[in-house]
Amino acid sequence: MLDIITNMLSMCIPFSVALLLASIGEMFNQRAGVFNLGCEGVMAMGAFIGMLIPFMAGGGGAVSEWYNLLGFVAAAVLGALFGLFFGLVTVTFRAPQGIAGIGLQMFGVGTAGTLFRHFVGGTQSIPGIPDIDIPVLSRIPVIGDIFFSHNAAAYLAYLFIPVAWYILFRTPWGLKVRAAGTSPRAADSMGINVSRVRYEALMLGGALAGLAGAYLSIAQAKMFSDTLISGRGFIAVALVYFGHWHPAQIMGGALLFTLAQTFQTIVQSMGISFPYELAVMLPYILVIVVLSFTSRNQITAPTSLGKPFNREIRT
Amino acid sequence: MKKLLVLALVLILPFMAFAQGGGETADDDTFRIALIIENTIDDKGWCQSMHDGITQAIAEMPDMKIEYSYNEKMLPVDAGSIARQYVAEGYDLIIAHGAQYKNLILEIAEEYPDVSFAFGTSSEIGPANVFTYMPESEETGYINGIIAGTVTRDDIVGLVGPVDSGDAARYNRGYVLGVQSVNPDAKILVAHTGSFSDYVKSSEVATSQLGNGADVLTGSSQQAIGALRATAESPTAMWVGQDLAQLTTAEGQAKCIAASAYNYAAVVKELVAKITAGTLGGECIPMNFANGGFVFDYNPALKAEWVTPELEAEVQTAIDSFIADPDGTLANWADVDYSTL
Repeated sequence: MLDIITNMLSMCIPFSVALLLASIGEMFNQRAGVFNLGCEGVMAMGAFIGMLIPFMAGGGGAVSEWYNLLGFVAAAVLGALFGLFFGLVTVTFRAPQGIAGIGLQMFGVGTAGTLFRHFVGGTQSIPGIPDIDIPVLSRIPVIGDIFFSHNAAAYLAYLFIPVAWYILFRTPWGLKVRAAGTSPRAADSMGINVSRVRYEALMLGGALAGLAGAYLSIAQAKMFSDTLISGRGFIAVALVYFGHWHPAQIMGGALLFTLAQTFQTIVQSMGISFPYELAVMLPYILVIVVLSFTSRNQITAPTSLGKPFNREIRT
Repeated sequence: MKKLLVLALVLILPFMAFAQGGGETADDDTFRIALIIENTIDDKGWCQSMHDGITQAIAEMPDMKIEYSYNEKMLPVDAGSIARQYVAEGYDLIIAHGAQYKNLILEIAEEYPDVSFAFGTSSEIGPANVFTYMPESEETGYINGIIAGTVTRDDIVGLVGPVDSGDAARYNRGYVLGVQSVNPDAKILVAHTGSFSDYVKSSEVATSQLGNGADVLTGSSQQAIGALRATAESPTAMWVGQDLAQLTTAEGQAKCIAASAYNYAAVVKELVAKITAGTLGGECIPMNFANGGFVFDYNPALKAEWVTPELEAEVQTAIDSFIADPDGTLANWADVDYSTL
């Protein structure tokens, strides 16, 4: 039984990374007051470009780790460009954020699939990045498997959580982001360029969503298909609410969701008499239940979330 | 208003110049087949197997003039317009490859009784102009189960299924029966992803099963590619495949001991023969080893290492029994209860 539990917990960290990165990115978007439902599309583009670079370099065979790194960098840059584009639509043109986000999602998923068919063809895999056993620590019974035997990208993603917290709560830019999402009128009166801050947050959020997609194609599934993301972008958006727009709580949500996901897999594989349809639904039900029981006074949603800012119009 | 009408006409005219009624230009000697699929023709799974089957069938009927067209990524809600377009262009047979198209096909078939439609997998008998096809894939599952149950070292095998219905349910239960026939003590880990195309989830399920000791895995539908990719990460685990296209992938060449596949060419040839003879539907065409609906092959790169003569003989005996008695050999497949494994 201990082996089963260890196995289940050891999968939580690597399998939660894509959700974690995308959620943290979405958190920056929403903290700045912009609601980006297009996360799924940006992840798809990130997954595509992330896989394309090592695939083209090695034809599906082994390549230098530098190409994988280049794949991650390209995914981040492409994601940031998508964020910039979304900013143009929602911040400058003030289009309804929900509809624009759905458009971005469709555009990203469709474009990634089309480009993949053109440049690669059918479903293809790459060697991706390997797991690293951290010397000494990985040999500690139970703990070693759970915490110290994962790929480098997973470690970096988790190390980014305190960095994200620091950026949001301890830097002047983080304060501007929070001000732009909470009270853009007041921020504007203090000389903060709300539009610029929103653009910057969207670019950071896009870059993280691109990285999340690239993580799936380079580090986790090590392949690409146009159904690779399969709704994870929307789950990432839900996790931002789940985590109350706070990096640590979002991390907790991503881990809890992934734990529920791996738990249901174990339940099925162990032959426990339980309808698999319900088991598959379990993580989603969990999110809904937790969201439903979240006390209102704990919710710290940015008060101007989803509202376009026009400094010429006083509301 | 006049200006608007003129403008509209000017915009529409170029399209009208190139437009053509498919039915009017149809060559009577040409048999037209259209395929509607929800994924792509190179998904190394469900859709590719039908596409390959149609192209193979066309190649095997050189005396017939056959025109073939396909439309990918068609969700059932979108497929209606393209199906009607094919009807308008004079297609003789429209195959909507997936049980999810059932309602759509039944609705359109009623509108166009002179056109033949087909969808599957389904064992239902449709209206007079609708064929169904049903792979009896418990046979291919059984073969793979024999191999998995024999080559497993730790007596734990895994199965990553999409959903527990249709041919996937038959394959999975056949696999369980196959494993139990040669290794009654083996532990069989069965889990479903709930999706035909979530590669990430199937890789997660496979990773979970590998972590719990499974050393031979299998899976069906296109999502299985994700599980195969995860299996390739294991230095010791092996794979038995439900699609020959898996043997063409790098990880399939390294890990897939053998694979079976649907041979839709046999179905397509039968459909064409029936339609040209005047039967437009009202029948279910089963697919099994007996009628050539399945093909099976070993991975030449791994056969010497993993397939003993005894195992090969065991597999051949099973195939022979399916051919001799396609209805009776695995009649109990539906009795398999995963909770007892």
